[in-house]
Formats: sequence, C-alpha cells, structure tokens
Amino acid sequence: MAQKHETWGWMLAVDFFFAGMGGGMLVIAGLSDLFLGVGMTSVLGNLLGPCFVGLGACLLVLELGRPFQSWRVFMNPKAILTFGAWNMLFAIGSGFIYTSFGIGALPWSNSIPVREFFAVTNVIFGMIVATYPGVLLARHKSRPFWTGTGIMGLFLISSLVTGGAAHMISQYVYGAISSIVSSWGIVDASSSAVLRGLPFFVAGLLALQLILWIGYVWIKHSGSTKRETIAAERWISGNYAMPFKGGFLLLGTFLPLVLVLIPGDLMKGLGALLVILGGLIMRLLVVYSGQDRTWLPGEQKYRSRLPLGHEAFLKAWNSK
Amino acid sequence: MARYAMVIDTRSCIGCHSCTVACRVHNNLPVDMIYNPVTTVGPTGVYPNLHMAHIPLLCMHCEQTPCVNSCPTGASQRREDGIVWIEESKCVGCKTCVMVCPYGARVSNHEKGTVQKCDFCFDRVDKGSIPRCVQSCHQKARIFGDLDDETSEVFKLVNGEHAVRLLDDLGTEPYVFYIYGLEG
Amino acid sequence: MNRNVDLEQEGIEIKKSCCYFCHENCGVLAYVKDGKVIAIEGDPEFPTNAGGLCCRGNIALKHIDHPARINYPQKRVGKKGEGKWETISWDQALSEIAAKLTQIKDESGAEAVATAGGTARTDDWARRRFMNLFGSPNGFHNAHLCWMPTFMIETAICGWSPFDLDMGNSRVIILWGQNPGASGMPAMHHLTELQRKGLKIVVIDPRYTETAAKADLWLPLRPGSDCALALAMLHVIIYEGLADDAFIAENCVGYEELATHVADFSPEWAAPLTWLTEEQIREVATIYATNKPGNIQWGTTLDQQGRTAGGAIHARALLRAVTGNLDRIGSDLLSGPSLDSITEEEMECNEYLTDEQKAKQIGSDRFKLMTWPGYSKIAENTRKVWGKAPTAEWMCEAHPPSVFNAILTGKPYSVRALLVSATNPVNSYGNSKVVLEALRKVEFMVTCDYWMTPTAALSDYVLPIAGALERPTMTTVYGCADFILASQRAIQPMYERRNDYNFWKDLGIQLGQKEMWPWETVEDAYHYKLEPCGYGLDTYDEFVEFYRFHFPEREYNKSQRQGFATPSGKIELYSSVLKDLGYSPLPEYVGPVENEIDHPELAKEYPLVLSTGNGFMPFHHSEQFQIKDLRYLRHEPYFQINPVTAAEYSIKEDDWVWIETQRGRMKQKADLTQAVAPRVIITQRGWWFPEREVVEPDLGGCLESNTNVLTSTRDEDCDPMSGTWANRGLLCKIYKVTATDEKGGN
Repeated sequence: MAQKHETWGWMLAVDFFFAGMGGGMLVIAGLSDLFLGVGMTSVLGNLLGPCFVGLGACLLVLELGRPFQSWRVFMNPKAILTFGAWNMLFAIGSGFIYTSFGIGALPWSNSIPVREFFAVTNVIFGMIVATYPGVLLARHKSRPFWTGTGIMGLFLISSLVTGGAAHMISQYVYGAISSIVSSWGIVDASSSAVLRGLPFFVAGLLALQLILWIGYVWIKHSGSTKRETIAAERWISGNYAMPFKGGFLLLGTFLPLVLVLIPGDLMKGLGALLVILGGLIMRLLVVYSGQDRTWLPGEQKYRSRLPLGHEAFLKAWNSK
Repeated sequence: MARYAMVIDTRSCIGCHSCTVACRVHNNLPVDMIYNPVTTVGPTGVYPNLHMAHIPLLCMHCEQTPCVNSCPTGASQRREDGIVWIEESKCVGCKTCVMVCPYGARVSNHEKGTVQKCDFCFDRVDKGSIPRCVQSCHQKARIFGDLDDETSEVFKLVNGEHAVRLLDDLGTEPYVFYIYGLEG
Repeated sequence: MNRNVDLEQEGIEIKKSCCYFCHENCGVLAYVKDGKVIAIEGDPEFPTNAGGLCCRGNIALKHIDHPARINYPQKRVGKKGEGKWETISWDQALSEIAAKLTQIKDESGAEAVATAGGTARTDDWARRRFMNLFGSPNGFHNAHLCWMPTFMIETAICGWSPFDLDMGNSRVIILWGQNPGASGMPAMHHLTELQRKGLKIVVIDPRYTETAAKADLWLPLRPGSDCALALAMLHVIIYEGLADDAFIAENCVGYEELATHVADFSPEWAAPLTWLTEEQIREVATIYATNKPGNIQWGTTLDQQGRTAGGAIHARALLRAVTGNLDRIGSDLLSGPSLDSITEEEMECNEYLTDEQKAKQIGSDRFKLMTWPGYSKIAENTRKVWGKAPTAEWMCEAHPPSVFNAILTGKPYSVRALLVSATNPVNSYGNSKVVLEALRKVEFMVTCDYWMTPTAALSDYVLPIAGALERPTMTTVYGCADFILASQRAIQPMYERRNDYNFWKDLGIQLGQKEMWPWETVEDAYHYKLEPCGYGLDTYDEFVEFYRFHFPEREYNKSQRQGFATPSGKIELYSSVLKDLGYSPLPEYVGPVENEIDHPELAKEYPLVLSTGNGFMPFHHSEQFQIKDLRYLRHEPYFQINPVTAAEYSIKEDDWVWIETQRGRMKQKADLTQAVAPRVIITQRGWWFPEREVVEPDLGGCLESNTNVLTSTRDEDCDPMSGTWANRGLLCKIYKVTATDEKGGN
C-alpha cells in the first residue's frame, strides 16, 4: 500500500530503459555519421532510436497518476523532469528527421549540411536523454543508492551499450531484409553499410560497465554513510544479489562481452540481445532500489506494521 | 511576512496518534493515506534500563525544497510564509516529489491520481487559527507559530532549547524542529 | 472538522457536546447545521481536555453514520446467531420484550432477569431504577475490573474513596498500575505540566508504558505482585520512622494492630516476590512518605488481580493513612457525594427493591463487599456523615461470572433473560468461552448497542442506541464525585436510535412503572437532578450553555468537621466493616492467582507470567475496530514479549503465536520488545474482527485473539471480598501458530 514503500513502478524503469537505449542509438548514429561517414548505421536502427525514446515517453505518461494531464510536465523549466521531457520531445523529432535522410525517395535526402546538422542534434539530445535519468536519480539525497554523480555514468554507459547493441541487431535484421526493402525503391539500399567496429565499441563499453558497476557497489558499501552501506547490501547479499550478479553482471554484461567478440553474426546477435536484457534488468533494479529511503527514527517499524492493502477490514463496509 | 514553523517537543509526546487521525479527518484522506505518522524509537536499552521516544513526522516545510524544485508542473509551491503546498489541479502524479522528499512526507492519492501532503492546514492558519494536529494534541507537544516573531513560543523554543532538525546533513533546512528528550 | 466544510456559513449552531468514546468525556464543540453535525473540534474551554482530542475523539463523525451502525430495532427471525433479522418498530420491540419479561417473572421470579453493562457510558441509574422497580437484584457491569473494589474497600476504611487528587499542591504522585499515556489523555497532560513544575511521578507497572517512559521513577514489578509491594511499603514506613504519627494519632484507629500485622512484610521478604530489589522498595516508600503532600492515583490494575486484589487494594489504601496523605491539602481528598445536586443513587429507587429480592442477588452469599450485604453496611455509614450513599449501580452488583454460571447450570437458580446494554461480554468479561456458552444458552436476550457485536448477534432483539453527539452527558465519576461536568447533545439521535435512558423508561412503562418515570427526556431527568443546585434555570440545555460545570469549593480537612464515615468515625486501619463482613480487618498477603511459588506443578506446564487487559491506543475495550481510520494504525493484535524469551521459543518479530492458559488459548502476533521482563507475556485486550461475518460459529472471530479466553473467573481465583476475577498475574505457555493449526479460539 502507498504508505509502506511508495516508489516508482516498473513502467518508469522500462521508460528509462527504452529512452536510454533510444538516446544511445541517436548518439551512435550521429557520431558515426559525423566522424566515420554517411550510412554507417542502418535506417532501421536510425528509425528505432526515436521510436524507443517515444515508447519510453509513453510509459512515462502511463506511470503518471493523471495521464491526461501529462502536458503539464512541460511547465516548470527549472525542474529536471521538465528538462528531460522537452529533450525527449526534441530527441524524437531529431531522430525521425535524421532517419528521413536515409530514405532516398525524399527530396532532401541528399542535402548533406542539413543531414549533418541533425546528426549533431541527434548527438546532443540523444546524449541528454541517455544521461538524464541518471542525473534525475543522482539528485535524490535521501535515496542512498541513487545519490551522487556515479549513477549518471552508469546510466550513460548502459544507454550507449544498449544503443550499440540495438544498432547491431538492427543492422543484422536490416541486412537480412535489405533486398526486400530495396525492392520498394524508397530507401537507399547503399545506406545499409555495416559499421564494422560496433561490436568492439560495445565490448569496450561492456568491460567498462563491468568494472564501474563492481566499483560503484563496492564504493557504496564501504561508503560514507551507514545508510549507503545498508542499501548496497541489498545488491551484494540481499534480495537483489541474484538478479544483479547473475542477471546483470554475468548474463547481461560479462557473457555478451565474450559473445560479441566471437566472429559470426549469430553469436554477436545473441550477445547484443543479452546486452539489452542486462540493461532492462539494471533499470528495474535501480528504480526499485529507490524504496530504500533514508529512514527516519522508528519509521521502518511503523510502516512495517501498516496494512498491505489486501486486508479484509479495508474492503468491509464500503457499500452505502 | 511570517515564517511559519513547528516545534515538536518529544519530551511531551506520548505516541497516542491523535495528530495522525485528526489530520486524516480534517483533510478527508482515503484510509491508506497518512500525512503525519508518529513513530516510536525504542524502548532502547535492556529491561529495565530503558528509554523510549515518539517522533511525530510531517512535511518539514523546508527552506531548500527539493520537492518544489523537481516538480515538472509547478504544482508544488512554497509560499512566502514558508508553507509548502501542492496546487492539486496542476499535479499530474509523477511522484518525483514523493521520491525526492527525504522525509517521506508526500503521499499519492490513488483515488485522485495526485500527490498530497501536509500544508500546515493553511486553510485554518490563514484565518488566524492553528493546524488541526496542533489543536488536537492533548500533550501540547506540537507548537506552531511564526519564527520571525521574537515573542512567539516557537522562536523561544528554537532559540532557547536544544532543538534539532531531522536529516540536517542533507541541507534541506526544515522548519520543523524537534526538542529531544533523548537518552534521559 | 473537515477542511472542505465552511464553518462561517449561515445557520451554523455550535453545541457544547462531549466525546463519548471513553468515560473521560472530553469537551467537544459540535458545528450543527440543519440537524446534522458538519464538524467537531475539542472544546478549548473545557477544563479537562482544553481543546485536545485523542484519536478516538477525532473520529466522531466517522462513527455517527458508519455503514455498520444499527439504526433500527432488529428482531431475530432465524436461529440464534444465524444472522437473520427483521426490522421492526420500537413499539413492537418494547411490547414483545415486556411480554416475555412478564412471562419469565411470573414463572421464575424477577431475579431470573439479569442485565449486563460495560463501561460507564450509559445512564446507569436508569438501568438500576428499572431493575429495582421490576424487582431483580441481578444487574452487573465490569465494575469489578474497573475501580469498584478499590472504591468499596477505601470507603469501608475511611468513609469515602479519596479519589479526588489535589495534584496542583502535591509533590509526588504514584501511578499504581495506571497508564494515562494510553488511557487518560487529559490526566496525562496535567501530569506532564505538573512534572515540569516539580511534581515527581512514580510509575508502578510491569510494563515500560507510555507513562513509565516519562516517569521520574519506574518500578518494574512482577505482574500480580502488588500486594507484596504495598505490604512491604507499609512495613518500611512504619518500621523505618516514616509514618505521620500526629496524623495517625488524630485520625486513625488500629495502628498497633497494623504495625504488628506488617512486621514480617519486610522489603527482604517482598523482593523475591516482586522481582524488585529491597532498595527499590525502600526508595518508593521513602519518596512517598517524605515528599508530602503526595498522591496515589487509582488504576484499575489492582482491581483486576483476582484473589490477591482485595489485600493489595487494602494495603495500598492504608499507605495514605499512615503517611497522612489524606484529606489534607495536596493529598488525596474525600470529595464525598454531591451534596448540591440529586445524586445517581438518589435516582435509583433502591428502596423499592425488597429485602427478600436483595437477598437473592447472585454472588452475595460469597462476595459480600460489592453486593447488598457490604453495600448496605457501607451506605449506612456514609449516610450518617455525608447524608448520602455511593451509587448502587456499579458498587452493589450481582457477581458476573456467577450469573453466567447460573445461566449454564441453573444454580443457585436459573437466569432466563439477559438485558445487555453497552457491552460485548464475549470480549470484555472473564473466561470468554464460558461467557459465550452462557450467551448461546440464555433463553432470552436483548442487546442495546451501536453495532452487531458477537453478543448482539446472539440476541433475540437488538436495539439501536444513540451514541456520541446524539446524547447529553452528565459526568459525575459514576455518581460519586461532588462536581458535575455537563454536555448537551449536538443533534437528536439519527434514524431510530434512542438513548438507553429511553429504553429503560419505555420498557418500564410497558411493565406498569409509568408513574415512576416522570421525565420524558433524559434532559428532563438531568434538569431534575440539577435543580437543587439553585441555578434557577428552566432546562438542562440552559445549564450547559451558561454554566456547563458545577464545582463546589474544594474543602480540605473535612474530617475535622465531620469525622470519617466509618463506625468509629476514624480511619480504620483495622477495619471493623471488613471484619463484620467476615473478612480480615487487615490486609492479608495473597500471592498472584497463579504463580511458581504456590503452584510449582502448574508453573512447569505454564512457565510464563501473563498479564492481560491493559488499554492501548487507538481502541477502547472491544470498540472501534470498525473505524478504518483507527484500525489502519493497528490492524492486527500484538502481544509483548522480551527478545530473550522470544529467542528461547524461536519466535520472531510478527510471528503469530498461541498463548494458552488452563482456560484455553488464543493467538496474537509477537512484538519483541524490551518493554517487558523476560518470562512475561502481556497481551492486548478487546480484539474481535467485525469485518468478518458476525454469525455462528465464528461470530466475528470473537475468541480467536481474545485475551479473555485466558483469564480466570473460578470462585477460588476471585477476590473473596469483591469477587473480582483474575486478568493479571496468571501463568501461560506459548507456541508458534503453524499452518495446520491456525483455527482460533480454543
């Protein structure tokens, strides 16, 4: 029941996941375009980037207590959530426009300066979308697992690595269906050129993710406050230990780190899927760890004795 | 301009929960919503050498307001007299403020989809009265007043007694002060 | 009061009402518009609560129109306890009830009709008036558990119970088995204020209570060992030169006998019995005897100790006399009955009950103090000095466990009808399993209540009763104080609810008592009671609106003017009244009802010490479990256990645990706390589950977590003087509830 552990639900975690992955895809698409050349990422990947950000935004709306009033979240320019909401909007717009340059049938698809402009906006807005959930959480001083700048880096890396993995899968899928797509005659099939370095980029980030996460939990555990230690214990030996170590670190980070380096699209594709799974697990764990507030004196016992919400007396006498 | 504050004298509080219930009735809250729980610390020690304190909690009406700062809609606001409140029609229930408040003072109303909290009963205060929880307290353990007024009881208590603020290290500068009768 | 309610709108009337959820009767201002109460708040002008309201007081508007309230007279149409009811009119209900009572009286005598009450929240003089006129001596309440043994023993010794504490002038107060921090908010507030000004507070309690936590000295004694403590305190005061010799010489008789009697009750003797050290016992005796003037506040703990209660109460009462803390400024004063108004006793028509019927009062052959034999003797003494007598309702009652036994066994004669008003005996009287069987068996039962309680569910008729805000209230401390606090009703009763006064009056009229009930409304009766005060007003409501209180000027040293209302005119340290009744004139030592010294075999099977019956917020007795705003705060029953003991039994926080005595078992959840000593179990009282169906056989889980399943009402366990039964100082065993063993109550 609300009184007990009021926290954000799974929808926000999934929002963070999709928005982060989409943001990461925008960044990768933009950077590779600017520095490595046109067509290094698939049109499908370019398209999925803003779609994922949009999906995240939809989940964010659904998480609201009053979804039909969601336009109001754009109203306070000083609030991080307002900033994030505008950026998601801009990222979605930028992503779709940028994608359109891969559609040869469109008249502006050859306008290079305009395309590069949107590659730049992709990088800027994508970067913000990829990082801002971490920034949002980092400001929660009374949520010991979140507080501090570390969480921003972890979110950024996860966004980029899941974005990279999503681009990899997009490329394989797009490659498999490119002949069909080409036959429609609207998309420039030449833009399906594969960014060969992507698996290595992903592998590098995974290695970094592994090190940083172990370091983060270790620092929290040996950290400055007792409440941070307690919060970290949930991840080391508490009820998060299994999904964190087995799910996220092993299955979602270390195993794909090996797989994406194995030659062959199948192994790489499997690795990329695991990366995405790992990103999802991480978001869920992090968001739910927000229930570990810094408890006030006696508060935990007080709340533990409150009803859970299913008790018979709560449902009785409701007629009339 | 007034600067409203509350002093809670835990030496007097007996943990009867009267303030909790008075508040729920006054604010017409659904059964699962509590603005101002009263927690109990202890008894600590070993029988029969014991100590026990009751800690009434509520919105701290902070000077530095993470809740107001993080509200994306502008529903969470702080008045000039320091009362932090939520303009219900603007709240979309994103729970950002719920999560960012270090004191657990904000709760979702699942019937309305909005977040609600203690607002020092400004409906009463604006008419010259005192918050409902303060009036209801048999023990007079809650003292409400204007901290800018040097003759007020809250001013004297905050400046005269050993008054502390909860989670002071977070820098939120609460305007709810606690006089502890801790450790005897 | 609700923030959405505009209190400045046109047409609002503010009524000076009171809270009615315990007998503190805190002042309440009710905002009334168009016959509806739209808001309430504590009355800042009221002397006791000064604007405060506890959680119960605050929910008055949730109580007044709760969906589960009974609003119309109900007649049983199915089998007993089946839950099938027909709504009928009051006229039909009263005439049918009257016909049945007439039949029973004709066949078995008036004494075959008994009435059960609960706590003082009805106009009980009206109940007694009805019963006296009807001819039955068998009315009873939980009086035995609630102060009345104390009142009667103290009145026997010094002519009135000195319950009027002059705390404002006092230096020390002993709260003996009392926890105002969870049961008497106005008292706790005044204690806190006085403590800041220097009053020392001593708490005697096995439990580290809300009040003990604020005390200057806490004496954590073994549950049920108060008698040993009080006797040892007498010993210390008398033998260590702390007695007030001048006061004793002037005011007391029997000091020599008392001194001889307590010679052996040394702190060394008492220490192992009370689990206190000799130093602690000396300290508390010394603090009380040397910080004069001082008070001993009455708590109901001693009244609830069964066999040991009388001796404990008696010894405690003598502490005042030997220290001179009686009838003097700052000490415990003898308010006496109200001399200005007509008292409740004077409204009771006790003179209409024949001696022949009085002699039939159940239990009066064994427990003489609180029945007609003792009451008559004591009333005779008080009438000589005060001109008035204590209220008979409460002070002179049938012995409740014996009445339930009479229903079950037909001995000494069969009780065929039970009129229940403002009580749920299954949960509030001792040894619940026996009580429940009696309620199932009794031939005819009528219950006046707000709710369909387990007791109401077994009734033939259930009548809807006016509650808080719907009734006027005159607060007089059971009719035994000299002051009056008066409150008015905010509105007329909603639906077809009526005052219990109207029930007794109208039933009496059906039974031919018409000329004896001249007051149409209860306000008319209150006005009649107040008239001699000389305010010259036309109605009771005018008194409430213009005066509200009647406080006679406080008089110290009353005894110098009029003596004490005992046969000798002195405080009888050696009590001739008790002796004449066949009891010890001096306080005898009696161990806890069940204890490891007197009952080693029992202690092997039931190794833990049990105390039951203490109050806790936000509930009062077995009430308010329906009020969600309160229930949300404590929605499950908990008992207290020391972590050391819990570890021995592998019991963890929040585990469901069976608690079992020789009488049966019930379950509550474990609260591991240092507030109780190892080996001590303290349970919560009152629990039943109104959210379940209140029909047979479960009856709202009325036995499942009900602490009174554990308490003892055997004659041998009851106090020989008052007949009070044993809630405290029992032995129990505990074991975890398992999945296959969770069905409640037996």
